[in-house]
Amino acid sequence: MTVLSVPFAGALRRPVRNRYVAGLLTWRGVSGLALVGLVALAGLLAPVLSGADPNAQGPEALAGPSGAHPLGTDDLGRDLLSRVLHGIGTDLTIILTAVPAGAVAGAALALLAGTSRAADLVVQRLFDLVLSFPGLILGLAVTAVLGPGRWPVVIVIALAEVPYFGRQLRAGVLVQREREYALAARVGGAGRARVLLRHVLPNAVDPLVVQGAVALSVGVFIEGALSFLGLGVRPPEPTLGSLISGAVAYLDTAPLLAAAPLGVTAALVLGFTLIAESLNRGVRG
Amino acid sequence: MGAQIDFTPALLFAQSANVLVQRLVFNTLTRYDDQLRPQPELASSWEVAPDGLSVRLKLREDVTFHSGRRFTADDVVFAVKNLQNPVRSAQLRSTALTVTDFRRNGDFDLTLVLAHPVSNLFDLFEFMIIADPASVEDAVAGTRLIGTGPFTFTDRKPGSSLSFARNEKYWNPGRPYLDGVEIKVIPQAETLLSSLKTGQTHLSYAVRGKDVATLRSDRRFRITQYDTGSGAFYIGANLAYPEVQDRRVRQAIAWAIDRDRLVEQALGGYATVSAVPWPKSSPAYREQDAAHYRHDPAKARELLKEAGVGQLSLPLAHSAEAGSAAVAQVLQYDLKQVGIDVQLQPVDSPTMQKQLIAQSMPALWTLSHGFAQLHPATLAVSAYPFNEAKNTSRFSSPAYTDVVQRAWNRADSDSPAAKALYQQVTDVLLEEQFIIDLAIAGLVEVAGERARGATLNKFGYLNLDDAYLAG
Repeated sequence: MTVLSVPFAGALRRPVRNRYVAGLLTWRGVSGLALVGLVALAGLLAPVLSGADPNAQGPEALAGPSGAHPLGTDDLGRDLLSRVLHGIGTDLTIILTAVPAGAVAGAALALLAGTSRAADLVVQRLFDLVLSFPGLILGLAVTAVLGPGRWPVVIVIALAEVPYFGRQLRAGVLVQREREYALAARVGGAGRARVLLRHVLPNAVDPLVVQGAVALSVGVFIEGALSFLGLGVRPPEPTLGSLISGAVAYLDTAPLLAAAPLGVTAALVLGFTLIAESLNRGVRG
Repeated sequence: MGAQIDFTPALLFAQSANVLVQRLVFNTLTRYDDQLRPQPELASSWEVAPDGLSVRLKLREDVTFHSGRRFTADDVVFAVKNLQNPVRSAQLRSTALTVTDFRRNGDFDLTLVLAHPVSNLFDLFEFMIIADPASVEDAVAGTRLIGTGPFTFTDRKPGSSLSFARNEKYWNPGRPYLDGVEIKVIPQAETLLSSLKTGQTHLSYAVRGKDVATLRSDRRFRITQYDTGSGAFYIGANLAYPEVQDRRVRQAIAWAIDRDRLVEQALGGYATVSAVPWPKSSPAYREQDAAHYRHDPAKARELLKEAGVGQLSLPLAHSAEAGSAAVAQVLQYDLKQVGIDVQLQPVDSPTMQKQLIAQSMPALWTLSHGFAQLHPATLAVSAYPFNEAKNTSRFSSPAYTDVVQRAWNRADSDSPAAKALYQQVTDVLLEEQFIIDLAIAGLVEVAGERARGATLNKFGYLNLDDAYLAG
């Protein structure tokens, strides 16, 4: 029986991969990928696109665009283009660390919940507890303990995403573990852990992929909000949120200071949202 | 009114951190004019003995507390004893402690006997708020503030707002004009600015200099710069940390900072570059002292080399509000250019005040200090960063103590002999650099179109006796 279950599960997975690709090949997917790809590429190529040190201060504060400073300078005379490009890098590093960490932790807890009724009860209440804190309140609580900085932001984003990933996977596990192939695996002598990891998990991950894209956009938002409140990455390291925060006082006199990081943040959030939507449609067929 | 920092009741008698609240609810015995000459407030007249060992005060007889009780000489006795109490952490405690006896000549006539003459007696009278003795414990708990001032305290929402109503029995006839005052606590600089622009707030002294600069051309606002010199920006060095024990390292830091750029970019031009704490109005001020440390990274590196320091890594605490963060970033960058790597540590304002008092600051911190606008001895015997007996930097030297005590233990404060002593104090400060002064900023008033008549005294206490809303 177990021998038979492997190709059966494999046969189930193959079209799933195709559905992801099919979803991404729609106008939504392509637009999202293009937006995120462009922004990410700009962040990766920051040292090439702008030779200026993002933290180098100078006498020319709040200068307009010029040859030396294509987007002008901020209030401490730092090159705005360089800070925006390096800010993209900081944001992407944070969310690409935090979201997978949140996904892994959420998935692990969901699988743990699948092992027994008692574990399920504990994990569910744990998710409820985290969900009862809005993202920003969670951020305030974490930074009150750890202080502001890069790692507290990573922890806040990861922690905020854990229950979403966990609940998505738990729902999938509850459905899949009652399917015939899982039953067949159990009858064939496979242990509970093996059935969960080898057979159920691969068939329950679809929602996680979609959730991953949603979480990336939420991550950009949380980083921005924490930095805006002065609780994010410590200065002078640029992030998109801290750049927007620092620009608010100059909305009347130097609007480009806010427009540049705002535009990039909007592109990232929109891009991730479009990707999530296209994947969702692809998965649902 | 918009304030950035909330009222801290525990520090009500400690210092000038609650300046917006103090003069609304309370009065002081005297208040300085622009030339540091004391003017009558609750004391209608006074006479200092020729030997400087006593002062006789005649008190107003028409003053009542908000509780309805009459103000008498006993309340002044209590006020002095209250500041002598170490629990209050009063910065002018040393001056209060020189009062050794009280001779009551009547309900409204009191003589204070001093252990020795002091040059800053009227700084004490300017600083010392007169509170109803029965309500003092409630006052430091923030539940009840009973004074003789123009407004009665009605409500407090911690972290949000403070409300005051007109004192109908105020001793100043026909004053105040306003029916009430609400102080909104708005920690975010941008939100404070929006609150002013939308007319939700009429008056603020908490707008950071770089934001004031953006309002200069806006006709809706009147911007007044007070020459209180009460906000002197500095870097403090905690000598408990070996990295900054060598004075050459501290001097290197002083040479490393581009004060002109700091004033222009982080303070919006609303400050004066200075290597000494004294504002121009102080008898201790000298142009050459203010310019003693210029921006000279090469000299800074040379001093570090002499001190045997290669690469140095130090924490720098700063207030978490946005204005201080900008100051801290300028300092961080300038220090990095001479090989001092600084990690910024944002700290909330009440915690910073506690650390200042408890001598528990990290190796470096940046803040602003007051007191230098008063008689120079006050700074050196009272302000937490400079107090010769116990300062935040844990600096002590017999030379500093000796010259400070001599400058303080004298009745005159403006004579050539006194000024010579102030110069010696300045020389020690410039040499030792346990406090590295950067710039002197007075308080800046941002008033909306309708707000009129608000003033600040030399201590920064807000006087709304004559304030009104036009139109």
